[in-house]
Amino acid sequence: MNERKTYPLYFVYGALILYVALCVIPGLIGIGYSFTDWSSYSDEINFIGLKNFATIFSPDENYVEYLSNTILFTLVTTICKSVIGLSLAVLLTKKIRGLNIHRAIMYMPAVISTLIVGMTFKSILNPQIGLLNESLRSIGLDVFALKWLTDSKIAFWSVMAVDIWKGVGYIMTIFIAGIMAISPAYFEAAEIDGATSWQKFKSITLPLLMPTIAVTTVLNVLYGLKVFDIVYSLTNGGPGYATEVLYTGVYKEFSQGRYAVGTTLSSVMFVVMLFVGYFMIKIMTKKEVEE
Amino acid sequence: MKRFLLVALAAVMLVSSVACSTATTNTSATSAVATAATTGASTDSSTATEATKQDVTITYMVSQDQLQDAEIALGQKFTEATGIKVDYQVIPSDQYVNLLTTKMNAGECADIFSSQGGQFDIVTQLNVEKNAVDLSGESWSSTVDPLAAAELSVDGKLYGQPIQDVSSVWAIAYNTKIFTDNNLQVPTTFAEFKTVCETIKTAGITPVYECVSDGWHHVLWFPEVGAAYEAAEPGLIDNLNSNTTTFASSAVMKQSLDQIKEMVDAGYWGENYMSNAYADAAKSFASGEYAMVVANQGFGAEVEAIGTELKASDVGYFVIPLVDNQILNVNPVGPSRFIYSGSKNVDAAKQYLAYIAQAENLQYLIDNVSKNNTLPFIGVTDKYSETIKTFYATYATHGTVLQTTVKYLNPQWMEIGKELAALILGDSTSDDVLKNIDKNRADQATAAKDPAWNE
Repeated sequence: MNERKTYPLYFVYGALILYVALCVIPGLIGIGYSFTDWSSYSDEINFIGLKNFATIFSPDENYVEYLSNTILFTLVTTICKSVIGLSLAVLLTKKIRGLNIHRAIMYMPAVISTLIVGMTFKSILNPQIGLLNESLRSIGLDVFALKWLTDSKIAFWSVMAVDIWKGVGYIMTIFIAGIMAISPAYFEAAEIDGATSWQKFKSITLPLLMPTIAVTTVLNVLYGLKVFDIVYSLTNGGPGYATEVLYTGVYKEFSQGRYAVGTTLSSVMFVVMLFVGYFMIKIMTKKEVEE
Repeated sequence: MKRFLLVALAAVMLVSSVACSTATTNTSATSAVATAATTGASTDSSTATEATKQDVTITYMVSQDQLQDAEIALGQKFTEATGIKVDYQVIPSDQYVNLLTTKMNAGECADIFSSQGGQFDIVTQLNVEKNAVDLSGESWSSTVDPLAAAELSVDGKLYGQPIQDVSSVWAIAYNTKIFTDNNLQVPTTFAEFKTVCETIKTAGITPVYECVSDGWHHVLWFPEVGAAYEAAEPGLIDNLNSNTTTFASSAVMKQSLDQIKEMVDAGYWGENYMSNAYADAAKSFASGEYAMVVANQGFGAEVEAIGTELKASDVGYFVIPLVDNQILNVNPVGPSRFIYSGSKNVDAAKQYLAYIAQAENLQYLIDNVSKNNTLPFIGVTDKYSETIKTFYATYATHGTVLQTTVKYLNPQWMEIGKELAALILGDSTSDDVLKNIDKNRADQATAAKDPAWNE
């Protein structure tokens, strides 16, 4: 028994029981169903081994494509949200007029329901009568009036752009909190030494912000890997299968009554997210631990 | 200053949310209906004070194209008469099937739901024996047209109530004025159809209005000419149902898909076919910008209702001429209402269906819904025009559509929509589309333990 422990172990039992009952056991049951032929078409459930996993990774199925779309979405949105969010956070921690209004405006998309954002942008990005293309045409930029959500080559990029627009304010807010937690003494000392803004950012802000960057990156990556609602509301996976991601695939399987294949996909994603999350935190906080 | 900021922030948020809903309402009918879905177009306003009436609200989940203003009006009268409120949960059509089956599979469906009928599909897709209430004992059940009732029954038990006119067929509605002005005749082969399209296109008019974004409408081109496939390859349908042949091995179906792609590549669907919505079809047609659209025989009345110079009599019809089809495509299957077996308000839901099925209310739905020329109930009076009667009389041979005759096809309608979209965009081939249809059928048949697929 470790004498330095402030609270006895049984304090954790309540939370642990709830967590195990509501999260761990359903999760394990879900993984268990991945090895069965569970579907809405039959009341019988039979063990079929790894057949569902073979289905998912079969070249005849589109799931590998969905997986690559999901990874692309995760990479692009994580990088863009981090870079833009950090830039905005740096700008919005300066002494500027109407600072809180600027922060509120940038944060506002994060509080709007994704479905409403989806519907609004579906209308804004309509190639024929959408606000964006009408605006472009009105200033003579017809060449940039593209079929944002209906051209399979650019639809996914449009979805990612909308998601970045919606998510960047949230990331910015976390960065602002991180930057404000840095002691002003560092910046004052650097200023006395004649450091430029870039040097201060590179040598003070960025290193001291690493724990925050680790948190936002994990949040962004996990969000990206389980993205569903923005794709569903903007394109529903279309045109064709151009914007399908893994969770729209899970939804499709479930809606078609093929529960086992749906849970198999979820299980695969669970394992991927577990590994990605674990190793990312480990790598990004390595220096911190060593220190 | 802080108070000012708070007020300003609240004002901006309010304006932005209003702007969202305004933009949604103004620019997209789909989105407008979707917004209605989130708020619920409830008819609960007038009768709450009447204490003697039932204080029950029934939910009715319905695809946007399957609920008409006339039915909502009847719903209000129903509420006035019974006190039972009806909460219409209107869902955009491209999301409806997935959402319905997900809700049903999760055991959380609305009291009443709409869905396509079909003797195969109501078993394999809806599992009505488990998920829906047997309506055979209802007073109106004997008045349902026997052909339509057969498509809504399992083992002699009726599970659904038809919503729409099923006598109407999906054909190509055309602007007779444009045809006359350009000296065009109704085409009887695909080659003639292309010539017609080319002439219209040269005249500066988009030949065909199509709306791929809805996910379902552009699919019609392929299965509606199912009887022509059977005529070209006799025994095809039986062989597909017994799993002794495949879609991928059918030359005529491949030809049909290739012809769809050919039409699009030639520019006959115009520029905006990927983002158009069927809800705007009548308006676009009435504007004269488009000459043809796949529609049923209520379309002429819908066009006239827009209020331009174009009248219902200016809209003619001919069958979809892919693979030189000249067989009138009939389908006794249509959207229908079902009562969810897990509903806590089965009696109230039954009262709603009984109210809708009253003779005067059915007639009201025929008279006030443009697309209904009749309804599949005995004793109603139809409103077929001479144009429509002439159209039906033109084709001596009638044949049932593919989605009704072939098992495991209708449930993947939206999937086929995606496949066709990929084909049209050049992301896949007609062979891929047919192979994927086979694969999806096999998946469903295997899951359903269909002996033809599991032997």
